[in-house]
Amino acid sequence: MPTEKAPSARVSPPLGGLGLALAIAVLLGGALAAQTARDNRYAAWETESELLYVQSGAALTRLGLAFDDLLADLYWIRAVQHYGSTKIADEADRTYDLLYPFLDLATTLDPRFKIAYRFGAIFLTEAYPDGPGRPEQAIALLEKGVEAMPERWQYLMDIGFIHYWWVHDYEAAAEWFRTASEVDGAPWWLEPLAATTLAQGGQRGGSRLLWQQLFETSDNEWLQAEAGRRLLQLDALDALDQLGLAAQAYRDRTGDWPRTWAQLIDIGLVPFEPLDPTGTGYILVPGTGEFELSSDSLLFPLPSEPEALPDPAS
Amino acid sequence: MPAIRTEALTKEFPVGFWRKRVHRALDQLTLSVEPGEVFGFLGPNGAGKTTTLKLLLQLIFPTSGVAEILGRPAGSVDVRHRIGYLPETPYFYDNLTAEELLLYFAKLFGYAPADRRRRVDRLLDEVGIGSERRQMLRRFSKGMLQRVGVAQALVNDPEVVFLDEPMSGLDPIGRRQIRELILDLRRQGRTVFFSSHILADAESICSQAGVLVAGRLVSVGRLDEILAVERGWELVVADLSEVAQRAIGSRARRITQIALGRHALEVAPTESDQFVRDCIESGAHVVALNPLHATLEDFFLRAVQDERGNEGASSDDSRATEPPPTS
Amino acid sequence: MTESASGGFVASLRVVGHVAVHVFKESVRDRILYNLVIFAVLLIAGSYLMGQITAGQDVKIIKDLGLAATSLFGLFIAVFLGIGLVSKEVQRRSIYSLLAKPVTRPQFVLGKYAGLVLTLAVNVAVMIAAHYSVLGVMSWLESPEFRAGWEAPATDPAMLKAFFLIFVQLMLITAVALFFSTVSSAALAAALTIGLYIVGHFNADLRNFETVVDSPAAAALARGFYYVLPNLAPFDVKTAVVHAQPVPWGYIALTTAYGVAYVAALLLASIVVFSRRDFK
Repeated sequence: MPTEKAPSARVSPPLGGLGLALAIAVLLGGALAAQTARDNRYAAWETESELLYVQSGAALTRLGLAFDDLLADLYWIRAVQHYGSTKIADEADRTYDLLYPFLDLATTLDPRFKIAYRFGAIFLTEAYPDGPGRPEQAIALLEKGVEAMPERWQYLMDIGFIHYWWVHDYEAAAEWFRTASEVDGAPWWLEPLAATTLAQGGQRGGSRLLWQQLFETSDNEWLQAEAGRRLLQLDALDALDQLGLAAQAYRDRTGDWPRTWAQLIDIGLVPFEPLDPTGTGYILVPGTGEFELSSDSLLFPLPSEPEALPDPAS
Repeated sequence: MPAIRTEALTKEFPVGFWRKRVHRALDQLTLSVEPGEVFGFLGPNGAGKTTTLKLLLQLIFPTSGVAEILGRPAGSVDVRHRIGYLPETPYFYDNLTAEELLLYFAKLFGYAPADRRRRVDRLLDEVGIGSERRQMLRRFSKGMLQRVGVAQALVNDPEVVFLDEPMSGLDPIGRRQIRELILDLRRQGRTVFFSSHILADAESICSQAGVLVAGRLVSVGRLDEILAVERGWELVVADLSEVAQRAIGSRARRITQIALGRHALEVAPTESDQFVRDCIESGAHVVALNPLHATLEDFFLRAVQDERGNEGASSDDSRATEPPPTS
Repeated sequence: MTESASGGFVASLRVVGHVAVHVFKESVRDRILYNLVIFAVLLIAGSYLMGQITAGQDVKIIKDLGLAATSLFGLFIAVFLGIGLVSKEVQRRSIYSLLAKPVTRPQFVLGKYAGLVLTLAVNVAVMIAAHYSVLGVMSWLESPEFRAGWEAPATDPAMLKAFFLIFVQLMLITAVALFFSTVSSAALAAALTIGLYIVGHFNADLRNFETVVDSPAAAALARGFYYVLPNLAPFDVKTAVVHAQPVPWGYIALTTAYGVAYVAALLLASIVVFSRRDFK
């Protein structure tokens, strides 16, 4: 590539300079195109697991030196990314394995990383495919948060909640609610909540109360959204119960379980084909008297309830 | 066609923290060197000699002006086939041997392998590097590096050779060797352009000299013309009365008291007779009458003094409005 | 008889080739490089001993270590030699006599780069050989039952994919080092290159910056950086290879294409800067 230089001019007069700049831009664009194509076709390798060689948060804190907060942020980003990408992935062998380690590392590096605790509380407990379904991991995380920030009654409440909703241990739940209510600044309704839990543990009304409280007091968008969703799920469960009763009534009158919505509507037991709170129709299982939430619904899957639903067949 | 030609060659460097001010390192340099000449480019340190050389080799780019070598633009690649360059205090590559370095450079010129070998062997012999040629350049002394530098400058049998302070840091033997080398090059018909601040060395070898001070070419001329100028006579007299000192001394170029009762007058060549008569008439005795020949040093010092005088008179930033007249 | 460097693409390539070979010779004799490579090889060999201590995980650890060592030492070589390519040469002024020869500045830059890539290739090859040797010995010493328990064979050729991408990544880092050394001093260039290496590994996280930062402007800036700065993490398929997960050829091809295009852009930018530069 020889360059003839004019006697008093520099190499590449202005126009040539523009051409070169353009060439550089084109090459960078090409690089980005290749990268985008690759990112779209292939899943990213979970290279993070090497970082987890340092499984001990304490060791990492020492290594992190002055950059604890930054590293904590980094692990938080990874946690969210991991959760998000796993959730939308198709492959069946995708697991949420790294969610707890990331959150654990983030909170070890920054024990006051509130949002990480809350996130873990919600999403670690979610059953597959919405989460790893590991309430014990969530509890471990939250206990760490309690230790770091004893004034955060929310974490105590969250632990109680997990015991209530996922582990179905109502006595433990009520105990945690009571402990939470004793923290300075805790809201007035925690104590009655403890009592209600003991009395009505496992019943939908109690659950509704709990979620209602979360919905109203949440300081956080997605926490609130989650609570709202749960409430709608409870509504759907109520609706399904109602439909079950209608099917039973149909059977009482005709001697058979209904086979189509039309049958129920004609007979006047149901005014129209019902939609769930998010607008998707319920599914009538022909000939069984059972109703289900459509798998297309945003509320799918409905949570397992502590006690069996009243049996429509009885 | 001149071997080297510049026309109003100027170089400004941005200086200062925000790079707003400029320092004019070379100001409107115009000179011309004919083929076969040895041109001594002289000046105090910081005058811009190295800047000029780098402009000629396009290691730096001119702000304005023209630089040509052998009729071609100074930076063009084909010209570089025909020139050689020895930088000031050369440094090459630690991990190569002298031989490997020269072979590498020879490859860049495109010589065939056998030809390369021959050239390199011959050159190393010529500059006096024997078995050390297979040692790493890391081990070479300054003088030996200088010799390697000369060798690499001559790999391609250049028509024009540029030497930047070729004798700096050498002992008298080394200096003599370089001097003889330059004379050899001249005998071979090559053009030599070298810069120096050591005047004594330059005096004996260059056919033309130019003096650069603070970026400006203050004088340029054929050395034999300069040296042919008889400076005049030095008239040493004794017992010159004070009246006569004033009267006669004011007419002389210079009057100095060299001892108690003794004065030296510098007079123009044609006036020596008159001054002798005047002194004798005033009652002084003539002690000696010596001819004075111009040396390059005088030339140089006077040019510097003139320049510094000009600079004092001109505005405070380093811009000049017009090139000073050459003497 | 003499080739002219001012005409002919082939002649031009030949000049680039001479510079490259010279850079290779210089680098290979560089004491620092020598020591680095020896150290790396010793480390790889020593990993065998390390493997003996950790129960059952030995093959994985040796593989991890070998790949990581190659990557890390390759980084050091790329940075320190890469910086030396231009910065050191300019600082020591050996560049003066070179540029007075019929070598254009673009040829200089390309030759330097090619020479260093050649050096890297040789070094990586040496480390690969050491790596596979240690693993081969290990495999030979272990019983077949034990070997059956490994996720992937000890001398798994799939590791070459990881080595290849490591090499492409090193090419990219070398180009970065070269670029920085054309625009700044040696020390600064080294710092910037290492900094960019670190950032490059966390590049993917920049895309999701909005989850930690409130200001949308900062998040947008971070996203801009994500696109512009080199993204180095995808070159790292060590985990996949060690756990015998498949690495598709398409992935390798696209990642290499990214690397090559980015290198070309950097070289072009280096040439532009270098061609305008005054060597004071």
